[in-house]
Amino acid sequence: MKKLFALVLALALCFSLAALAVPASADGEIVINFPSIWVGTDSKAPYLAEMIEAFNAENAGSIKVVVEDQTDYQAYRDKIRTTITTGSAPDLCILDTTFDIKAFAESGKFMDLTPYLDEGWGANFTDGAFDAWSVDGKVSILPFEAAVFTPIYNTEILKAAGWDHFPATYTEFFQMADDIKAAGFNVMGQMAGENGWSSMLWYSLLVEAIGGKDVYADGLSNPAFVEAAKVLKEMYNYTFDGAISAGAGDVNGHWLNRDTAIYLNGPWWIANLYKEENAVDGVLLADVCEVATNPSYEGGKGEGGLVTTVQGFLAAAKQDDPAKEAAVIKFLKYISEPERVSQWALSSGAMFFVKYTPSPETRLISQKVTEVANKAPYTILHVNGAFPTAFSTEFPAAVSALVLGEVDEQGFVDQLQLAIDMA
Amino acid sequence: MKLIRSDRKALFAFMAPAILVMILFFVIPVIYVIVVSFLKWNGISAPAFNNLKNYALLMKDKSFSRSVINNIIWALVAGFIQVPLAMVMAIILSRKPKGWKFFRTVYFFPQVISGIALATLWRAIYNAEHGMLNGLLRAVGLGAAAKDWLGTIQTAFPAVLIYWVFYIGYYMVIMMADITTIDTSYYEAATIDGATDFQQAIYITIPLIKKTSLLTCVTLASVMGLRQFEQVYMLTNGQPANTTSTIVLYMYKKMQNANYGIASASAVILILVGVIFIICIRKLFEGRGDRPPVVKSVRRAVK
Amino acid sequence: MSETRLRPALKGKELVLAIIRWILIIFFAVYTLFPLIWLIISSLKTNFEFLAQSPFSLPAKPQWVNYFNALAVAGLGRMLLNSVFVGLLATLLNVVIASMSAYCISRFRFRGRERIFTLFTAGILVPLNALMVPYFVIINKLGLYNTYGGMILLYCAIGIPMSTFLIRGLMDSIPMEVEEAAYIDGCGFFGRFFHILLPLSRTGIVTAATFEFLTCWNEFVFANLIVSSEKLRTIQVGIRYFTNQFSTDYVSMYAAIVISIVPSILGYILFQEQIIAGMTSGAVKG
Repeated sequence: MKKLFALVLALALCFSLAALAVPASADGEIVINFPSIWVGTDSKAPYLAEMIEAFNAENAGSIKVVVEDQTDYQAYRDKIRTTITTGSAPDLCILDTTFDIKAFAESGKFMDLTPYLDEGWGANFTDGAFDAWSVDGKVSILPFEAAVFTPIYNTEILKAAGWDHFPATYTEFFQMADDIKAAGFNVMGQMAGENGWSSMLWYSLLVEAIGGKDVYADGLSNPAFVEAAKVLKEMYNYTFDGAISAGAGDVNGHWLNRDTAIYLNGPWWIANLYKEENAVDGVLLADVCEVATNPSYEGGKGEGGLVTTVQGFLAAAKQDDPAKEAAVIKFLKYISEPERVSQWALSSGAMFFVKYTPSPETRLISQKVTEVANKAPYTILHVNGAFPTAFSTEFPAAVSALVLGEVDEQGFVDQLQLAIDMA
Repeated sequence: MKLIRSDRKALFAFMAPAILVMILFFVIPVIYVIVVSFLKWNGISAPAFNNLKNYALLMKDKSFSRSVINNIIWALVAGFIQVPLAMVMAIILSRKPKGWKFFRTVYFFPQVISGIALATLWRAIYNAEHGMLNGLLRAVGLGAAAKDWLGTIQTAFPAVLIYWVFYIGYYMVIMMADITTIDTSYYEAATIDGATDFQQAIYITIPLIKKTSLLTCVTLASVMGLRQFEQVYMLTNGQPANTTSTIVLYMYKKMQNANYGIASASAVILILVGVIFIICIRKLFEGRGDRPPVVKSVRRAVK
Repeated sequence: MSETRLRPALKGKELVLAIIRWILIIFFAVYTLFPLIWLIISSLKTNFEFLAQSPFSLPAKPQWVNYFNALAVAGLGRMLLNSVFVGLLATLLNVVIASMSAYCISRFRFRGRERIFTLFTAGILVPLNALMVPYFVIINKLGLYNTYGGMILLYCAIGIPMSTFLIRGLMDSIPMEVEEAAYIDGCGFFGRFFHILLPLSRTGIVTAATFEFLTCWNEFVFANLIVSSEKLRTIQVGIRYFTNQFSTDYVSMYAAIVISIVPSILGYILFQEQIIAGMTSGAVKG
């Protein structure tokens, strides 16, 4: 017993000593540490890994980008938030709209990219990409990955319900919905479980169709939010059973099983339409799919606007060492090079705030989505992106309360407003 | 035992590591949490003193009071339904029926299975369309009762609670280990007196484990109930309409919103509720002092 | 208790009790085995089968490739070793520190004793999620970010209140008389700890150790927070390798979970005999 005790205590001591001797990096080599969610099963992972490998090889001995794999999104956010709060932000990281981007940009903890963008690098990015995210004309959080949300529908199900086109108005949409339901199919997948993602997207489409371009101008007080809630509640009559407790897995499962007519998600999902694994009787899901535009709402202010978001921002921590700052910029420029981004988009199906010529091999559905997106006269953010994080954490609770009749449409909006006010 | 002078140094040396760890990892961090609970702070900008406003906001927030109530129910169910169930099984298995070793091992399995897997399984069981529970109901002709168990206000919280009540393995193992240390002569004497297994359990086993493993398990289970987070987070995320929320889940969401002030205030309230709970449990177990007759007589004989 | 007890033929009330007993035993066995079986079956499906078909159907063809993915792509082997290593050391360190402090609190009256124990008990209640920021700072300041040492220290520390609570609970139940006798025989502070209290409170120590090890094994938030290198990742981080924001590779994740369960179940089965043997040869209650 005594021996064991001594052994354990000695071991503990050794550990604390060993731990103190953290190995220093190789001489002269600048290490950029990059906790990244574009790893693992993420569709952007393979090409990013290739780029980093090539970059490291090109700069062997002087710069090395070290990726820290982060696959669990929520844990990644927790970690980034904690590191930034404690003043030890990683050299480079990926943020999304669940962070308070404005506050981050104002904090001065991130590298000011404006001088580099003004030098010509900025010309690589799409026009106006930075407008919504710069503070006092300075860009420190770089919008990088884009997403657009357009409904994709299963033409076979529409045909079975007697429809050869996708409706142009929501009035027509609900007529079609009745036909699809009568034919024994679900119209769309809604979910109030998990983060309420699909319902959040449908709500955004409705908010756009009803409130138009400037719907976010006066926060949630715009009557469009109440009206859209009414329609969203109606949509729950056309989804599968148990949508209130459903999560992304349920929505995706129904769509893959081809019992649901319309699917709404970002462009990263397109790759799944082409997977052999998801083919039925040798027919790829992509072969029976078409891309639709958001219908217009009678009496609404929408004019065919597009719901988008910034799916990923790149943010670099402020550096004291100019050499390190230069290295980080070099890497950022490297991965935002239009030709590379074109390849990246091709391999992943993702979209970027970089001007690039799409590869002719781009998947057909991706091309169609881009076409629809380019036709849109204006864009608005999805509701999660347009409001503070408190909105998105409260959204599933508010939707389930709405659909279960715990609150009315006004109560739904009030509940979200209350959550925002509290934060 | 009295403390001898020479023991003082030894005592100090023995307490030192634990005290050091407690100060570093609990006292300082909790002071930090208490301080932050009086601030308005998003983790990035400069914090501002917010007086008692965070606490006032919590008191007004219905979803927070719902979380507190849920946690109290959870702790009570854990301490007074789950643990007694575990105790019954511990008593049964310690009588060594056929295959008891196998069962003892099997009952422990859920403790080592990742929470993600358990949550997905139970979501599938409670699912409205192809869920097993609805399937069973339909099979026995109760199809009318089939529903979206996790998406209905009345059933969601009970559903989250009930599935988990029957995972008793951990507490059962603790109590079984305790029961095996009971002197067999008690049982032998009782058997000679003609006491049945049931009577032996009531008059020998339970009184003898009451102040040790039973108290431990009740406290442990209640604390786990109060700290409940992972299962709810993965099973329902607090929905529908925040009716299955718990304090830690509530706190976690406030942290996601970068509202560290309110998050910390809810953590402080959780600690307060917990301390009250632990004190009550101790009082409850200290309350009844008398030992039942069988034990008394056996004890006298042993002494 | 002897293994073979003479049992007379059951009748009446006893028969009913026996039936109830077996119903309970079997109910709980089914209830606890079911998740494991379901998990194994699900881990052999394709994602399409898992998502689009009933979750309780069988796979058309077992997909062993999921296990290949879990092992090769996520690199689970190394993570398993890390988990075992960190878990064992943290547990050892934890029960050593906790049993020392439990001994002091349980056996000696000194000033501030109850206050210290209250502090320990309150420690059990602290929601650790709230401590992400302070823990990150502490581990960083100690220079333990991204080290085994950091994980071991943190895991050991967060379990101290619980372990002290469990071990003290058991030590309190050991009658003072036993120790007093040893004291009269000239057994000192350390002697009484090593020769009397420690062996007699084995049950509590084993309980605490099991709990602590499971905590380490299942811990994810801090495993991700205070470590950045792939080489130090633990199994819980590995399991989440197949999740990402919008499309989780469920079946590979389940394969990873099954792989992660095997050593803990094996360990438990192997270790359990030792545990129980140790317990029964120890104290006698009365």
